[in-house]
Amino acid sequence: MRKRTLKRCLTAFWWITLVFLYLPLAVVVLFSFNASNSAASMTGLSLRWYHQLLGNEQIMAAFGNTLVLAICSSVIALVIGCLIGYGMYRHRHRKLGWLIVLIYLPIVLPDIVFGISEMAFFVQFHRLTGLLQPGLGTMVIAHVTFQIPFVALIVYSRFVGLDPTLFEAAKDLYATPVKRVVHFMLPTIKPALISAFFLSFTLSVDDFVISFFTAGPESATLPIYIWGAIKKGVSPEINAIATLMIGAVAIAAAISLLFSRKNQHSRKRQS
Amino acid sequence: MTDLTNAVNTTERLDREEARVAAADAAARGKRGASSIRMQGLRKQFGRDSIALAGVDLDIHAGEFFTLLGPSGCGKTTLLRILAGLEEADDGQLTIGGKDVIDTPPHQRSVNTVFQSYALFPHLSVRENLAFGLKMRGVAAKAREAKVAEIAQFIQLGDLVDRRIDQLSGGQRQRIALARALVCEPDVLLLDEPLSALDAGLRSQLQVELLRVQKRLGMTFVFVTHDQDEAMVMSDRIAVLDDGHIQQVGPPQEVYERPANAFVARFMGHGNLYRIHRRDGSRLSTEIGTLQMDGDSQGELVLMRPETLDLKPGHVEGPNHLPGTITERLYRGSHAEFRIRIADTTLQATVNNRGRRLPDVGDEVTVVVAPEDLVTLSE
Amino acid sequence: MSTNNIAVMGRSQGMVREARHLLFTVAPGALWIVIFLVLPSLYLMAVAFMSNGPYGLPQMPLSLNSFKQLAGVGFLGWSPGNLYTLLRSLWQTLVATGLVVLVAYPLAYYITICRAKWRPIMLLLVVVPSWTNQVIRTFGWMNLLAPGTPLSNAAEVLGFIPPNMGLYPSNFAVTLGLVYNFLPFMVLPLYAAFEKLDTAQVEAAQDLYARPARAFWHAVFPQTLPGLLAGIVLVAIPAFGMYVIPELLGGGKAMMLGNLVATQFSGGSNWPLGAAGAILMLIATFIGLFAMRRIGKRLGGGEEVVI
Repeated sequence: MRKRTLKRCLTAFWWITLVFLYLPLAVVVLFSFNASNSAASMTGLSLRWYHQLLGNEQIMAAFGNTLVLAICSSVIALVIGCLIGYGMYRHRHRKLGWLIVLIYLPIVLPDIVFGISEMAFFVQFHRLTGLLQPGLGTMVIAHVTFQIPFVALIVYSRFVGLDPTLFEAAKDLYATPVKRVVHFMLPTIKPALISAFFLSFTLSVDDFVISFFTAGPESATLPIYIWGAIKKGVSPEINAIATLMIGAVAIAAAISLLFSRKNQHSRKRQS
Repeated sequence: MTDLTNAVNTTERLDREEARVAAADAAARGKRGASSIRMQGLRKQFGRDSIALAGVDLDIHAGEFFTLLGPSGCGKTTLLRILAGLEEADDGQLTIGGKDVIDTPPHQRSVNTVFQSYALFPHLSVRENLAFGLKMRGVAAKAREAKVAEIAQFIQLGDLVDRRIDQLSGGQRQRIALARALVCEPDVLLLDEPLSALDAGLRSQLQVELLRVQKRLGMTFVFVTHDQDEAMVMSDRIAVLDDGHIQQVGPPQEVYERPANAFVARFMGHGNLYRIHRRDGSRLSTEIGTLQMDGDSQGELVLMRPETLDLKPGHVEGPNHLPGTITERLYRGSHAEFRIRIADTTLQATVNNRGRRLPDVGDEVTVVVAPEDLVTLSE
Repeated sequence: MSTNNIAVMGRSQGMVREARHLLFTVAPGALWIVIFLVLPSLYLMAVAFMSNGPYGLPQMPLSLNSFKQLAGVGFLGWSPGNLYTLLRSLWQTLVATGLVVLVAYPLAYYITICRAKWRPIMLLLVVVPSWTNQVIRTFGWMNLLAPGTPLSNAAEVLGFIPPNMGLYPSNFAVTLGLVYNFLPFMVLPLYAAFEKLDTAQVEAAQDLYARPARAFWHAVFPQTLPGLLAGIVLVAIPAFGMYVIPELLGGGKAMMLGNLVATQFSGGSNWPLGAAGAILMLIATFIGLFAMRRIGKRLGGGEEVVI
């Protein structure tokens, strides 16, 4: 009896929390269709902010920057992180404590310390050598730095989950070192590579603080543009960009749900 | 009338089938060259003080089913891995089919392995697993398909070829692993405890199947196991290893009936080992009593195999007659095992159940052993 | 003798090959992190010990002025502003972490008692908002808490805030934003802990202790402690260094350490002072990690606690 009351209370609590979690996002989406300029009241539905969005060159440039930054940094991080993940696996019997510390460093360092360290470094480096002017290049470098650990850990855990004799079987079956990589290792860790790429991409699009401090005047991304617009006084277009970004996340969530469903099914069939 | 024709037809069909199989086998044997293996002074050490192989000399003949037998940690798997090229020997020579391969990497050796965990590639289908070695060797797609089909028929995989790896049972995986190694037509096939993960029934069925495959192909098989029964059923010859040393090499019968030393004797399941106190020509006085042998002997231990012993009721005097009392009886249907107290030690005896009355616990019996069944050996 | 030498040579050749392999795979990533994160951080630490030059850039000679300034000593004597900011950061972190625990604990438990097929979806629902950009999420709260919105009006009617002020900017809005931001980071490790819960122990405790509260305290709570600690690390450390939320929801009177540090760099006013603040943040981070590790080890959950 008491158990059932408890469960009912928890169910109510669950729904309240869900409202708490989604209300701010819902408000943004709702106001993006607002016909009036005011942030406080809805006067009717319209798509005018979306039309303005398309005409706004700054926003389009920021959108392009966001994409270029996310894709470039994810690709570089995938290559470097994949190598490091494999190295960690292959040499896991050695004492690699220093490497683990190094890999966790970007994860545990507070964003703001991360961002200003890079900024201070890039500014001084540029003053001394004339290279690495703050802009998309420095942003890619900074993003790769925080993406590497995640890629490395995902790839490493995939390798650890494999039967180690598979590597020997590949050697035994006449695969040269290059063929082992192409025909055995890469296909085997493909799911891990895909999820590592998507995680890197998401981390890059989600990041604001580190981008903010490493960006140059020409390389504003969408989050930086939104930040600037908020600081200057809210323009209703922000709701429209934000809604589009929320939509992208919703699609990503749906895909990840489908993936986990599929995995569950195949696992069930296995057992 | 019809019955007769049917019967004739059936036998004819069987004959034809047999002839076809024999022809296929001959063709297969012709293509697969069996190779001999020669090892000299192979040495391997892990870390500072863990010696896996302490100088192994061994010859394996072409077309032989050869077994490396020993307890875990004896070095048998290390030896197999050196043959495969997966481990580098610190020192020593290795030739396969007359060619020196000590510095040849595994992917350049015409040697294939069936791994204990099977090591089937999870990202590939059964068919792709079977074709993997051929593909890596650069065999064209058409030829690959033909060979995979051929091996699938040979091992009788049936429709398993079209399954995914995660849809296979343990026994099926084992057979795919075997087929994947065989399809490459290696000079030597290495098998690392390939049956140890299977349950007893499936295991004995696959033992027979494996043996049949080896005989039909005439390929050199090197088999690693810690199970002496399995080793005896399958092998042409056995090498018993302990502590990085080869203790004895020989056909199963020799290793079982004439163990070279106490380790081999105990590992083959013999417990009746007794210390010899004094020798008087062919008369031995031992801790279990006085025993008469045929001719001279060497070594400080005498072995009495349980199944060579006879039990007579009561205490009877005679040469090689040892009086004792039964302390334990295990009835096993076809035979019974007895533990008998003699002098200050115990002895095990196995008696076939031929319908006569089997003695009971507490009965006084006399153990009789023929002089030619006694084996002497050293520690 | 000679064969022995050959063997040693063979082995050392293998070792050289292995070392080269290690270098080839690990070096690019390790060097990347060293050059683009370790060196910059070390440089930042060095900046803290330099003096402030024109345009806020650091210059020689070395001095401890930046730390004095952080403690509030300026040209006009001592002022408590920076100290308040520090204390506020600590206080906000404590309150937000506590609130997150209070919300996440029942939530994680509720997910574990739901049917297995719903659990992945429920977890996803909790996590998805954190996939959206932090700035957007915070912007959503600005919309909700601004003057004239239903929430602000309700608070006004109930007398919590003076008329026409709105719920933001305020310390309350910052706390709310922090709780919102970090809730998923606490739910996930707690859920993992609840899922591993040994139900036999719980049932034994229910037999031993009549009251459910005691059964919970003796059987359930200790088993979820490693997850709870992991969650606290994941929430408290980034919360202490938070920049976006206090900047947008807080206004001038709700600044946290992150804002103090950022201002010194973005306004170009005083790098050494900002670097000194960053060092403080690093110290807090490593103390937090170290403390959790120690407590975690004593609880037996050792390694998994630190992520």
